[in-house]
Amino acid sequence: MPPIGEDSASLKFSQKPEWADVVPVLQYENVNPLAPIFYSEEYKDATDYFRGIVKSGEKSDRVLTLTEAIIRQNPAHYSAWYYRYETLLAINTPLDVELKLMDELAVKYLKTYQVWHHRRLLLTITRKPADELEFIARSLKVDAKNYHTWSYRQWLLAYFNDEEDLWTGELDFVDTMLNQDVRNNSAWHHRFFVVWGCGVREGEEDRSRILKRELIYVKQNISLAPNNPSAWNYLRGILEHNSAPYSALKDFVAVYTVPHSTDRTEIVDLELPPPDKGAELPCAQAIEFLADIYEQECTREAALKATELWRSLANEHDTIRKKYWEHRIRDALEATKDDV
Amino acid sequence: MSTKPLHPTPIDAFSTPTSDVQYETESILLKHFPPTPNDTPELNKNAHLQYLVRNLVQGFPERYTSQDASQPWLLFWTLQGFSALQVAMDPGNRQKAIDTIMTWQHPDGGFGGGPGQAPHLLATYAAVSALAIVGRPGPNGGWDQIDRKKLYSFFMSVKQPDGSFLVAKHMEVDVRGIYCLLNTATLLDLLTPELVKGTADFLASCQTYEGGFASASHPSYEVRPPRPEYRTSSKPRVLASPRPALGEAHGGYTFCALAGWVLLLPFTASSDTAPTLSLRLKPLLRWLTSMQCTRASLGGFRGRTNKLVDGCYSWWCGGSFALLEALGVGGIQNASLRAVEEEERVLKDEEGKKEMGRGGREKEKEKRKADEDGWVDVDDSLYDQKALQEYLLYAGQHPAGGLRDKPPKNADAYHTLYCLSGLSAAQHHVFPSKARQKEIEDAWVSKGHYEEDNLRRRVFSSMLSWVEEEGASRILGGKGNRVNATHPVTNLTMTHTEGIMSHFYNQRVPPRGWTPGLTGGKI
Repeated sequence: MPPIGEDSASLKFSQKPEWADVVPVLQYENVNPLAPIFYSEEYKDATDYFRGIVKSGEKSDRVLTLTEAIIRQNPAHYSAWYYRYETLLAINTPLDVELKLMDELAVKYLKTYQVWHHRRLLLTITRKPADELEFIARSLKVDAKNYHTWSYRQWLLAYFNDEEDLWTGELDFVDTMLNQDVRNNSAWHHRFFVVWGCGVREGEEDRSRILKRELIYVKQNISLAPNNPSAWNYLRGILEHNSAPYSALKDFVAVYTVPHSTDRTEIVDLELPPPDKGAELPCAQAIEFLADIYEQECTREAALKATELWRSLANEHDTIRKKYWEHRIRDALEATKDDV
Repeated sequence: MSTKPLHPTPIDAFSTPTSDVQYETESILLKHFPPTPNDTPELNKNAHLQYLVRNLVQGFPERYTSQDASQPWLLFWTLQGFSALQVAMDPGNRQKAIDTIMTWQHPDGGFGGGPGQAPHLLATYAAVSALAIVGRPGPNGGWDQIDRKKLYSFFMSVKQPDGSFLVAKHMEVDVRGIYCLLNTATLLDLLTPELVKGTADFLASCQTYEGGFASASHPSYEVRPPRPEYRTSSKPRVLASPRPALGEAHGGYTFCALAGWVLLLPFTASSDTAPTLSLRLKPLLRWLTSMQCTRASLGGFRGRTNKLVDGCYSWWCGGSFALLEALGVGGIQNASLRAVEEEERVLKDEEGKKEMGRGGREKEKEKRKADEDGWVDVDDSLYDQKALQEYLLYAGQHPAGGLRDKPPKNADAYHTLYCLSGLSAAQHHVFPSKARQKEIEDAWVSKGHYEEDNLRRRVFSSMLSWVEEEGASRILGGKGNRVNATHPVTNLTMTHTEGIMSHFYNQRVPPRGWTPGLTGGKI
């Protein structure tokens, strides 16, 4: 498809002789609308011609020119995207050329659904996902938490689930992202997807070994920066997913629930990484975790211990959630009322 | 407002881009703190009204070209903003609104983002919701010009085998679309078992390990015998696993999934249509409460873990708590008498733990006394509603009118509405009343086939069972700041929700009277 050249860039479609046969359709013909938008002349012109094309049902090369013009001015114009897609298929355009164009637009219009969804449609046909991972990684350099970008990556991996090659570098990729920012929740979520969410990879069939590996990983990251809800949520997530009790982590967690102690051993224990010197303790998520350990014991005695911890959260360490901690207290006391 | 020194979010001497931007945001918000602990903030209703009126009458500036495919949204945000501010439109503009909306209806059914644009679930929701506010029965009223039959066909044409729906032909699947479809179908009496088959399961599959919901999930299907004669059904079965969520837990998607689930309750209750997956309520509650920021961010809500506060999540997250009440979580009407008595008993037995206050009825009496700020802590909400109101009033209002994400950003139509809706959710306790539901069911006039009619009656009565708890509103800054109560599912007023539904279901809705005792006098 011919790119928009510098000469024709300033010309509206109404001024181009090659478009003279198309009848433009005004947006509001018989109605004086409420709350109109003050479009630029170029946008109004392009969309008037788009409505004309849709009316006639034309699917041709010049439709690609027109829809590209609209998309560049309003990347959220989903009808233009949909019509473009149908046109690409109807006139058998080579889709890798289209993908290259999309590379440019995606960077500019990262936060728009349609730019990413269009890629999905193309990939479903081209079936060449390998280059996409690199493209997605580049996009994430610009916006490390872009929702569309990450969910597109997950879609790609899930859709091409059978291609083991696609998955081999994925854990390393998550590692890289978490090294850049251990608080990037999108990266933690992706880790969960890669390790637990989409089937079992070759060589990872021993799930208890994987769980052990992940527990060490998340504990190390907690010790680096304990007040990081992403890491704690990941820890809770993997325990719940594997139906593993929280109690196994009691020794690890306990140290994070109190201020720094003056006597610290320097023994390195992978299973029990202690909080780094700069950590701000006690850490609310650790206190919460310890309370959950007690609650899981299901005895009245343990529920009372949990109650003390929840009370400390409500009154001191996490006061914004006071009502929630009070709710937890009520719940635990009711659950153990027969154990008195 | 506590006079304790503020605790900025801990950094653990380990800064990353996330903590940098969080710190920066907290520094800015510090400037918006109440000047004194006893300060009474004012909701500048007039300025916000003028902001909305300007958009409506003068039109939207050129940068709103990016919303050209969302014209129904621009109108809905504006009209519902008026409703929240207790303002009705004049007849002239009302008719103009109806006429504008009807140009968005597509000849093939459904509404698009503008005239001639392809039908889209989100545009349909916004258009129909706008009609609920300004429309009426009869010629040129909008309601009777909606082509329901073609709309239903459009819905079915985007339905996917895994229970989800594309938002439009060739477009994406996500839970926003499902909420929009279910809400619209409920208002217009278009819900059928065929339409919603598999949808509850899809919603449940979007819940992530964090407890909130993602935009969508990815299905896998059973491997089927290639020869048709060996297959047991015409459509392949979605497998329980792998069915990964696509994207992390997010406030907007969580609201949509939860509201969608509540809309499906009349279906999920029956054993025929019961979903195989259920929601994990405990992690969901935990995640929702964890989305409220500390007072360093003035108690507003964020949309995802480790991201920044944003006024619109006041509705998406703050508003979700009311939906949880429909699932038995929170709300005084759900409180088990046993739980309250048990707490009372335990606390009586405990020595030296007076700071919890006395339990049970005595505790209720204590709560009803205003604290030193005049705030009556009578509510049983599970998040800090007062803090949320503080965020909205001190940081959410733009000085020139309209409401916003956070300072120093400009106001926009989207944030203006969702901040107002969030304020409404924080001011009022709106809950599903069993007494009201019964009143409505008793007034139902049966028509048509028994089973189908039963279902319609269940749908109708559940949607209209939401009532505002009398005398339980808590308005920071005084009565002048009151905004209208909002229906937690539709984000319209209860009156507008009733109006459009009574028309489409052709039923009389008994007037809302005083609701005697939320728990039927038990507590």
